[in-house]
Amino acid sequence: MSSSAGGTDDRGRDRGKVLSTAKASQAIGKRSLLPRDWKGPSTWIAAIAFIIIVFSIINPRFASVENLRNVLEQASVPLIIVIGTTLVILMGSIDLSAQGVMGAAGMAWILLSPNSREAIDLGIWAWVIALGLGLSLGLLTGVIYAQLKVPSFVVTLGTWYVGLGLGTLLYGDGLLPSLTNQHLASWPTRLTLGLPNAFWLAVVVVVGGGLLIQYTHLGRGILAVGNNESIARSSGMPVNRIKVSAFALAGLLSGLAGILATMQIGSGSPDIGSGQLFTVIPAAVIGGTALSGGEGGVVRSTLGVFLLIILNNGLILSGVDPNYQSGVFGALLVIAIVAVAWPQRDRLKVAK
Amino acid sequence: MAIALTALTLAGYLGASARATASPAPKSDLVMVASVINTTNPYMISNIEGAEALSKKLGIPLKIVDSNGSSQTEISKIDAILASGKTVIMFVNTVASSDAPTIVNDVQTAGGYVTIWWNKPDDYEPWDIGDNFVAFQKIPGVESGRCGADAIGAALLGKGNVVILGGVQDSTTSQTRLAGFQAEMKAKYPNIKILEVRPSNWDPQLANRNAKDMIAKYGSQINAVYSADDAMQIGAMQAFEDAGLLDKVKFASDGLYPKTLADIQSGRGDHAIVGETFHRGYMASSVGLYTAYLAAEDQITPSQLPHEKRDSLFQLSCVTPDNYKQYLKYDDPNAAAQFVDSLVKDGPWNTPPMTLIGGGPEKLPSP
Repeated sequence: MSSSAGGTDDRGRDRGKVLSTAKASQAIGKRSLLPRDWKGPSTWIAAIAFIIIVFSIINPRFASVENLRNVLEQASVPLIIVIGTTLVILMGSIDLSAQGVMGAAGMAWILLSPNSREAIDLGIWAWVIALGLGLSLGLLTGVIYAQLKVPSFVVTLGTWYVGLGLGTLLYGDGLLPSLTNQHLASWPTRLTLGLPNAFWLAVVVVVGGGLLIQYTHLGRGILAVGNNESIARSSGMPVNRIKVSAFALAGLLSGLAGILATMQIGSGSPDIGSGQLFTVIPAAVIGGTALSGGEGGVVRSTLGVFLLIILNNGLILSGVDPNYQSGVFGALLVIAIVAVAWPQRDRLKVAK
Repeated sequence: MAIALTALTLAGYLGASARATASPAPKSDLVMVASVINTTNPYMISNIEGAEALSKKLGIPLKIVDSNGSSQTEISKIDAILASGKTVIMFVNTVASSDAPTIVNDVQTAGGYVTIWWNKPDDYEPWDIGDNFVAFQKIPGVESGRCGADAIGAALLGKGNVVILGGVQDSTTSQTRLAGFQAEMKAKYPNIKILEVRPSNWDPQLANRNAKDMIAKYGSQINAVYSADDAMQIGAMQAFEDAGLLDKVKFASDGLYPKTLADIQSGRGDHAIVGETFHRGYMASSVGLYTAYLAAEDQITPSQLPHEKRDSLFQLSCVTPDNYKQYLKYDDPNAAAQFVDSLVKDGPWNTPPMTLIGGGPEKLPSP
């Protein structure tokens, strides 16, 4: 009996929380495109600007238009992935599958586009099928995670290898598939309004991701699940559908990133995503998206990606010996994070 | 722990006694194993192709070990096969040099026969270990680097600037190729300057990014690019093509991938590729496995072989746009089977185009 009374009490409390969550969601909805915590990102922008100035003094070529375009093009693939990763992390889950999904989608795309192995060109359908493959892998992850309640860490580790396996099967033991259409291979680098196409594609994804989080039910649902899943559930949110959608979007974006990366080198490989995980997860976390969910956003993750890409590019242009580069990279990263987090240290949760 | 140790010791004794009785293992008790670093790199796929061709020729079943780029995976999968109790004939393209002693030790304990390719510690020699470590074999990296330097030196008429894309930084294969390139440049083309050496982990994607960074850094100062293998060259060429520089820059590398052959044939850029080296993965794996097979069948006694047949360097061919045609036949669909036919006829040290040229360990030229 008492337990049922307790349950009623809990529900009452939960309802109170639900109301406040709903209010918060509405508040988020009403805000401008600027993220909730604009102050944090502004210190990030200052830090990145500072790094840019230092590198420009060391090597003036760093600030050249050519290098700016180079950095923007290099940032495009991780930017596209990080948006999907951020959606998932905002729910308090993690997505490790990006590299495998990239391999599968990239291989599917190149084998259906004009390539040196098969006399086939499905044009737009190559995109549809490859993106569909990414989406399906994401959906599969989402369904297993949400319905079967398997931790996302484990499911996505599995999907990573499923994707890699699909890519390897598609690769087979034939010739290395290369794009025979140079126009297609140079698309990411070609300029539109002075900036590389690859970057414009990333901008579309980043803006889309930002709008999704700020203005859609799905975006608010993702934040609500990240803040407190049981409250979100008891307030009638379709939690499972939100989870599946977030993973499906992440799969779709990894697939898009796989296609772009394949275009950039003009050849297909199941390993096309190699190393990306070590850019996007740190980028999201460094930017301030909490792994526990509910906090952060696409602007922060975007800044995190830029910080990592600019640091790497700047170190190469400054002529740092490759033997020291990893060490210097790590040290600079720690300094940058401490400098940016210092003013906010009182408000930070205990970091474990 | 104690039980495991006892079991290991016992297995060691059994292995040793099996050797002592020294009758060749019947074919039905043999199993062939080819261990590769991954199954996505064209070179590794070619390794598998060679193992399959030899397995078919000799009628011995084959198991492939895909290490997935991890030493741990490699060793645990090999140990699982060794536990099956068959006499193992093994080719291992080691993930890291330091894997060799562990694998050899396990194979020795199980009474199998192994040939290691490409990577082992320099002071770890088959003749110090025993007949179960049949041989270590590789293609000399220094020679490969020299081929690249000569091709670029000639193409630039002895004057200009080069950037280098290396493999994984602690890989001896990459180190020897780069050392050979740098030594040859210094000796023969003193007016060619090496602007920068940038490790790119054998990864076309990373090579592409690094090439873009170097284009931003040096612009049109770069006259040539040397890559430690074709995978990285493919990424680098795309970066130069995107920057509109492909017809002004020359490239040399190692491996003569089919994609590279196609680029040489089509004269991509303004005949951008000037130098390559030829060797094939199927040759390495079939020669390695056949050497181990001969030991398992007592047709050779490794301890009685000269050192150069146990730590071996094989012929590498320098390829240029003028002579590439003679290598096309080695990429025919049945090329691996044909190579294996000659291998069984001529033996592991005399099968052209990959004949034995000397003994290791390979010495690095003085910088």
